[in-house]
Parts: sequence; C-alpha cells; structure tokens
Amino acid sequence: MKPSAPPKKSPAKENWGSRNPFEEFKIFTPPTSDGDFPLDQIVQSTEAVMDRIRSGYEKLLEEEAKELVWMVQYNTIIKAYEVAEKYVREIDFTAEDIEDFCFALENTQKIAYLIPGPAGIYISALCNYAKEEEIALKLSELKTEINLLGFRLSRGKRLVIEGDTGDFTGIGLEGGELIVEGNAKNWTGAGMRGGKILVRKNIGLHTGEWMMGGEIYVGGRVRGLGNIVEGKVYERDKLVYPGKVRYPNLYY
Amino acid sequence: MGKNGYQKQAREIYQFISDHLYFNRPDMEIKGERFNSAILLSLLTALKRGKELIIGEPGLGKTTSAEYVCALVYQFPLGVIWGSEVSGHPEQTEEKIIGRPDLGKLNRGEEDVVWTNFSQMPAKIVDEINRLPETKQSMILDGVDRGNWEYLNEMIINDEYCLFATANYQDGGTNTIIAPLVDRFDVMVESRYPGANLSFLIAKDKRKDHALRHPKYEKDLYHILKSKTAYEKKIPRMEEVCNAYGEYIEEVLGVKPFQRQDRDQIRTEMESLEIELDASAFSRMLLAELSFCERYGQKRVVENCEEGCHYTGYLCHQIKNCASNRLPSSMKQYAQGLAWLLQDSEIDIEHMMAVVPYTLAHRVQWKDEILSQKERSKRDDPFPIFLAKEAVKAVSQRYREQSDHLKDALAVGSRIFQGEDLEPLEGDHPLYAEVKKDLDARKN
Repeated sequence: MKPSAPPKKSPAKENWGSRNPFEEFKIFTPPTSDGDFPLDQIVQSTEAVMDRIRSGYEKLLEEEAKELVWMVQYNTIIKAYEVAEKYVREIDFTAEDIEDFCFALENTQKIAYLIPGPAGIYISALCNYAKEEEIALKLSELKTEINLLGFRLSRGKRLVIEGDTGDFTGIGLEGGELIVEGNAKNWTGAGMRGGKILVRKNIGLHTGEWMMGGEIYVGGRVRGLGNIVEGKVYERDKLVYPGKVRYPNLYY
Repeated sequence: MGKNGYQKQAREIYQFISDHLYFNRPDMEIKGERFNSAILLSLLTALKRGKELIIGEPGLGKTTSAEYVCALVYQFPLGVIWGSEVSGHPEQTEEKIIGRPDLGKLNRGEEDVVWTNFSQMPAKIVDEINRLPETKQSMILDGVDRGNWEYLNEMIINDEYCLFATANYQDGGTNTIIAPLVDRFDVMVESRYPGANLSFLIAKDKRKDHALRHPKYEKDLYHILKSKTAYEKKIPRMEEVCNAYGEYIEEVLGVKPFQRQDRDQIRTEMESLEIELDASAFSRMLLAELSFCERYGQKRVVENCEEGCHYTGYLCHQIKNCASNRLPSSMKQYAQGLAWLLQDSEIDIEHMMAVVPYTLAHRVQWKDEILSQKERSKRDDPFPIFLAKEAVKAVSQRYREQSDHLKDALAVGSRIFQGEDLEPLEGDHPLYAEVKKDLDARKN
C-alpha cells in the first residue's frame, strides 16, 4: 500500500504560530482598481489638476493676447478676470495646487510664458475660487514679480505671499486680507473697497489710488500715495492717510 | 443595542452632572454630538474600570468632576469619597495610602493589616499626584495597574475599581510623574476654564454638591470600611448601603445611579462590540508610526533618528519613545465605551479617532524640535493634547489616502499566514514593513 501523500504545506509553514495577527482582514476584498499604488494615484490626480490649471492659463493668454491685457486698463483687467473665472470655476483644486502652479510658472518647460499681468489675474481668480480660506504662496524664488495679485480678494479670505509682488497688488480688494512678506510696487490697493493689505517692507507710488475703503499697513516706507477717496494708510504704525499728507505722490 | 436603557441612564448621569454640578463647555464632537471631554471621559473611565489623569489649573474642577462621576456611577455619598481620597504630598507614606499594622494586635504579637479606605474603595481618587515625590510614586504602581494592594505580606485585590488622579501644571511643589506610572493611565484630559459666564454661575451656586451628601449612609459606609471583617465580606455589605443611597439619589435628584449588576451588564455589553476593519487598520497604522524604526528595529528613548532615514514623514521621526502595549488596550477600551454610549453596533474609525488623542497625549515624548516648532501654535487644548490631536489628524489623512491598499496588504498578510503562496504587498508606510516582519518571523 502506498503511503499517503504528505500535506502540501512546507514544514516551515507548519511551525508558524497559531495566531494570525491579520485574521480579521481575511474577509476584506479590495475595490477593483487598475493596480496602481495609492501614491501613484495621488500623483496622477495632482498632475491631472495641474494640467487643467495650466491649460486654463494658456487659454487666458491666447484669448487676451489681442487685448494686450498687461498694458493695464481697468476694463481689460475685468475682462481678463472674467475669462480666468470661466476656466477656474470648472477645476477642482486646492490651495496647494495654486502654489504648485506658481512654482511651475518659472520652473517647468510646460508653461511657455510667464506674463506678470495675466499670471496675476489668473492666480487671483484661483485664490478667490479656492475652497480654503487661507492661502499661502511662496513666490520668493521667482525671478519675475507678478502683478495684480490679490485682485478682488473677497471677505473671509486670507492670502499670504512670501516674497515681493509687482504693480497693482491687491487692487479692487473686496474685504479680504492680503499679506505681502516683502515689497510691493506701484498702485498697490488701487480701487480697493474694503479689507486689509499688509506689506512688510516697502511700497511704491500711487498707493491706494481711488481706494474706497479698507486699510493698508506698510512695515517699511511708502514712496507715494495716490488719490485716496476713503480708507486708511499706515506707515510703520503711523497713520499717514488721512492726515497731513493730502497730495498724491508728494509724500517724499 | 440599548434595549435595557443603560445608555439612556448613562446619558442622564452625564446630563445631570453637566447641568447641575460641573459647568463647562462642550469641547469634543463625535458623530454630530457635542460633549465635554472631562465629563465624558470620566464617565467612560468609571464604567470601563479605567484610569484617568485629569490635568488643569488649580480650582478648575479636576477633583470635583471625578468625585461627581464616582458618586453617581458607583453610588457612594460624597462624604465617603472625600474620606477615601489620597492627596499627593512629599510626606505621604505607604501606611496612609495602602494600609497600616493593627497596633492593638501588634502589641499582642500578632500581625494584621488595617486597610485604608482608599485601597478598599472601588472608586479611587488621588489628588495632586504629581506632588508625590518620584520615589514614592512607585508605591502605587501595582495598585494603579492591577488593583492589587499589598502590605505586610497581605494583599487585597480590587475586583472592580477605577482610578482618577489629578495633576497641576508644573510649579514649585510639583514633581515629574515617572514614565511607568504615566503609561498606566488610560487617558489624560484637561479640566478647563468654563469661561467667564459659567464661572460666574459656579460662584453663585457654591453648595451645589450638597445634594450628593448623605450623613447617615456615609456613617454606615465608614463603619463597614473600618470593621475588622475580611475585605471580600465587606463588599456585599457596602453594596447594600450603596443601593439604598442610589434609591435616595433617584428619589431626590431624579437621576438613577448604576448598581453593581448594572455596571457588570454594561461591561458585558461593551465587550461584545467588535472593532470594524477601518478602525482596526487605522489603529495599526498609528501604532506602527509610534513604534517603528527601520535602523534599530523599534523606537527606543535612548536612540536617535539617523540622518537620511527614509521614514522622515511619519510620527516615528517626531517622537523619542516607543508606544507601549497599554496604548492599544486603552484605545480599544475607550472607543468601545464610546460606541456603546452612542448605541452603535461596532467600534468604527470615528470612535477611535475621538478617543485616541486622549490616550496618546501623556504617553508620547516629542522631540525638542517638534515642541519648539509647535509650542506657539494657536490652540484651545493644552500642549500635549493639542500635539496628540495634530498627530491623529496627520495619521487619519494618511489613512484616508491609502486605506484600501493598506487593508488589502493586511488581507494578503492573512492569506500568506494561512499558507497561501503570495507576496506581501509593498507600500511606503511603516505598517507594510511591520506586516513583512510578522510574516518573516513566522516563517523562520
């Protein structure tokens, strides 16, 4: 009579302890997937979002190239913003994606042009449509200073920019809080209706031109004030408007 | 669930304390319901036979919150609870905490122990535990851990007991609580300032705890505690008086305290609640981060992280010590208690995430750079609880990102364990490495 076949398990396996520490998971069936690791899926979805943000920016450039939006006029800015809004509204993105986009503006070959005006308008639209109330952007490593950042920043939003900003920072601010941890150039806060702009270092000419409300705080020096209708401007904690200095660009 | 109405009874006790005795704001939210962490965790501690460390500024109700819970869950009049409390001070001795020789018998050449009220009571409170010098803290280690109180070669074992200890923030008179004692506490919670308005109400209503006193029953209980009968025989006698006091409380205050058989039944019900897969996988993930070290095999308080470690994004890189085996037990106990109270059919990830910060806060030793990085962050919680909540938030974020893959890795682990010829799943988190280690250990 033939001896019965030994069990298929290897002797080593028979020595295993009796308690399976993962036993409760034996009933688990993973949802059907394409076999990617979770990290791959995250990277893929982040890239997909970035592609959409990038494509929105390129379309804005295409549409507005004819209008020469960076030769700034208020109606062209508004028009460009409306175009930016149209693309941004359709994208599901996070504050982190905005920061990635800012970095990509100069550091990848995928974005052909960094044009400070449209880029600023587009970033402003992204910030205004972001789910997060607080957004921090690190722009200190960019060689180009971006214009028009914080355009129409609405009440309840807080935008913190690390680095310097270009012209027209925080124009048309609508109650939000804009903090620039560096210098800001000319026409900062022009036409703002409310909210707060804090510039840690120096600010340029025409500051607060036609501003209708809100406050601008400057940690360094103000090169010149614009025609301010209503609102307050502080230089190093000292109120400079309203005050003795009433005339535009004659402060120094 | 909840067919015998014990959950309703427990919630009535919570509500009674919150409405009449311990005024404070809710500070935690679970499944849309808001609770005050100090009352909720004290209630669970009393029901689960747990050990709770209550921290806070002087005069903010650390001791009283524990006293109210003990009075209503264990049916002891406040006077008896006061008389059994141990207070931490440098001159504290074993004789005042645990027991002393019976001097009368000692004169006759016999040895016998007179046990203290503290060692005999099922609901124990140690006031200002961090005023006990480090050397004297070890006197209560065993008692705190197992309910064994030993003196002169005699021992009593508390079958049912819970322990509350209060601690002030560091001042001139406080000492550090030694690590083995800290680890024995299941949870740490802060009894916080209730806000100016509630504080004003507390001042107006000074004698509010008078309702929980009962001089006659207090005298009866003292008499039993002092009597020379064996400890085991005292318990049923004490229960009789406690039940009578419970009936009095129900009649006068309209809130029904728990009797011994109620508490036993509640514990059986709690024990029957199983941990759902997500709660289990999340807990394993957290434990892996709190104990894993690729280079040295596990976290040890005496070893530092090496430069260039791959796992810098996980909690193991932020902490100094290793999670103890008591941590998962505390996590399960309290999540189970919470699931029972909310009348849920199993322990899910939300129960787990709600209690974990309180089980973790006192046990984790953070690296100095993490402490200095975060100490000025805006927060409502005391620093250790804040750090623990942040850690839980970070781990739950990681869990959300890879829960399916992680559970799959554990499921594959289970199948390999049962003998299937498969490869363990790969992943970046320390838990994947831990699964492999378990499988390798079994193979060799």
